[in-house]
Amino acid sequence: MQRQVALIKQSLFDQGYLDDQFMELEELQDDANPNFVEEVATLYFKDSARLINNIDQALERGSFDFNRLDSYMHQFKGSSTSIGASKVKTECTMFREYCRAGNTEGCLRTFQQLKKEHATLRKKLEHYFQLARQAGPKETARRPK
Amino acid sequence: MTVEQDFVALDQFPVGMRVLAVDDDQTCLRILETLLHRCQYHVTTTNQAQKALELLRENKNMFDLVISDVDMPDMDGFKLLELVGLEMDLPVIMLSAHSDPKYVMKGVTHGACDYLLKPVRIEELKNIWQHVVRSKGLDKNRGSNNGDKRDGLGNEVAANSDQNNGRANRKRKDQYNEDEEEERDDNDDSSAQKKPRVVWTVELHKKFVAAVNQLGFDKAMPKRILDLMNVEKLTRENVASHLQKFRLYLKRISGNQQAMMGHSDVHFLQMSSSLGGLDGYHHRQIPVGTSQFHGGATAMRSFPPNGILGRLNTPSGIGVRNLSSPPSGIFLLNQTDIGKFHHVSSLPLNHSDGGNILQGLPMPLEFDQLQTNSNIRNMNNNNNNKSISGNSMAFPSFSTQQSSLIGAPNNNLLVLEGHPQASPQGFPGHQINKRLEHWSNAVSSSSTLPPPVQNSNNSIHHQFDVSPLPQHSKPDSLEWNNGPTSYSIPFCDSATALSPGLDTNPRAFCRNIDFNSNANAQPGGGFYDSLQMRQYGPNTDAILSSNPKEGFIVGQQKLQSGFLVAEAGSLDDIVNSTMKQEQSQGDLSGGDLGYGGFSSLRTCI
Repeated sequence: MQRQVALIKQSLFDQGYLDDQFMELEELQDDANPNFVEEVATLYFKDSARLINNIDQALERGSFDFNRLDSYMHQFKGSSTSIGASKVKTECTMFREYCRAGNTEGCLRTFQQLKKEHATLRKKLEHYFQLARQAGPKETARRPK
Repeated sequence: MTVEQDFVALDQFPVGMRVLAVDDDQTCLRILETLLHRCQYHVTTTNQAQKALELLRENKNMFDLVISDVDMPDMDGFKLLELVGLEMDLPVIMLSAHSDPKYVMKGVTHGACDYLLKPVRIEELKNIWQHVVRSKGLDKNRGSNNGDKRDGLGNEVAANSDQNNGRANRKRKDQYNEDEEEERDDNDDSSAQKKPRVVWTVELHKKFVAAVNQLGFDKAMPKRILDLMNVEKLTRENVASHLQKFRLYLKRISGNQQAMMGHSDVHFLQMSSSLGGLDGYHHRQIPVGTSQFHGGATAMRSFPPNGILGRLNTPSGIGVRNLSSPPSGIFLLNQTDIGKFHHVSSLPLNHSDGGNILQGLPMPLEFDQLQTNSNIRNMNNNNNNKSISGNSMAFPSFSTQQSSLIGAPNNNLLVLEGHPQASPQGFPGHQINKRLEHWSNAVSSSSTLPPPVQNSNNSIHHQFDVSPLPQHSKPDSLEWNNGPTSYSIPFCDSATALSPGLDTNPRAFCRNIDFNSNANAQPGGGFYDSLQMRQYGPNTDAILSSNPKEGFIVGQQKLQSGFLVAEAGSLDDIVNSTMKQEQSQGDLSGGDLGYGGFSSLRTCI
């Protein structure tokens, strides 16, 4: 079981969904904070869902207030970076580039992509955490060193 | 024993260091909190900057360090940084996902002691305690010289930098080590034992500014400032730290607004309100003091101290009186404009006090008063007249002087001119200068400003309050000049709105001078021309002096036309009055205008 968990995690890294930051977070997890990573991930998804919603609305309205969009995205990027969501972060950066260039087409496209990545990551992480919990807190908490 | 205690306590540091973390992003905040806990700090978190401020204000000594995000919805991180630095004097670390050097620079200029990029790594957080120590350490060092005592703290940090923190640190440190007794204080700091944190109230700040102005911004040393301020329980360290902040503030302001004439100072503490003094320009010492001056003075500081401005600072009360040697017009002129004024220089020269007038001018503070006349402002604005109006305030003093000034043929009345006095940015006077500059320029042409105003200066006085010298409202320079170019330099009361350009604002300004003519009277080249009018000679003076009510508007415009005065109607009066001084009325009007502005300037000076 643990092995499975480890494998999944490894694959997430390999596929670039997660990066070192995630590892850092895991380091922080300990007895005092047994579910730290999961908690943080939950927070992240909650927050980012809200942000995505805002951006969606802004885009739908059709009024491309690039500044606003940029600022939303900046926030999004910040949290994604903190959690180590690598692919999401990349999409964020691209989105901002398009924003700065005033490229609405590009923005829309990138945003779709971003949403996709985000959803994928969420699913994968949820799966991962589930397994981890099943496998037993200790093992899952610590990354195989 | 204390030492031991300290020692022990110190040893524990940075463990238990109290950190306040502020970030609107919940994810990041959570992560940060955990990281900090990992470092064994004591953490308090909030996702609202307002809340953070409240917490801090409630008890400054509750925390050792603040970490704050830059982008927050309810308040800009930099703003929070500034406030914390000013009010609580705690070290603040900025946190952001922005790696743009501009942001980092901004953080530094706003006083952050460090800038971290997200995602934050624990290694970085492990060292942040150094900032606390650094600020505390300095103090300690000072006092006790025993670095060894505080090993870990790096007492020896020769952080000469923060004196400010010294006190605070001490305090904090005290908090930190509960057992600490005064003793440590003794060691640390001559200034105090457990000195309560000084709160820089408006009053106190006013004093501070006055002292700084008095000493000369560049030469202001904490010790001397302290002496001048003469406030009990204030230590040199307090002053030093405040001075440091003040300087940073000014630098920032001046960077932002070159043009802004000195309002920044004013804003600094809102002090300048007291400009007051100018109105009286009759020699009233321009209350340079405190706020006023300081506004100007400080403002001035940012600029290359123009002669005049420099004058202002002199506590001598800018009172026009000092003008005595009108720094050739320096006064006012904003630095930028100053050149223009060139004429100014000779201002009041003649009259010793005349010079002062201008002196007064710089009183941007006075400016405020002038402001009252908002009209003046208008006046100034519009015309290119350099509405000395701004200065006019200062002029009041002029008025008396004016006569002298005006009289002084040196059209330099405008003496104001040029001294590129660094228009105090913040300094309202600044504006004046600008105006003056215009004026001077204008005037210079005329160069002989007949100091018509001379005697009339008195009359002009009145005007002064009206609108501080509209003087050739430099049309834009002085902000307030905007007002009708009514150059109406208050001096002249009658100054028929000197400012040719003055457009009619002078009315406001001159109150009476209807300067109507001025409005476009620009006889000759706009208001400034009026200055040129100076050549008219005394006219301007006359104008200036003549009706006080006219205010200085002296119809610069008239100048052109030869008599603004005439137009102003009142000008005649003015002219007459001034005329006596020297010249023919006619001249006055015409030249006056030039003068007018000028004279006003002169008066100001």
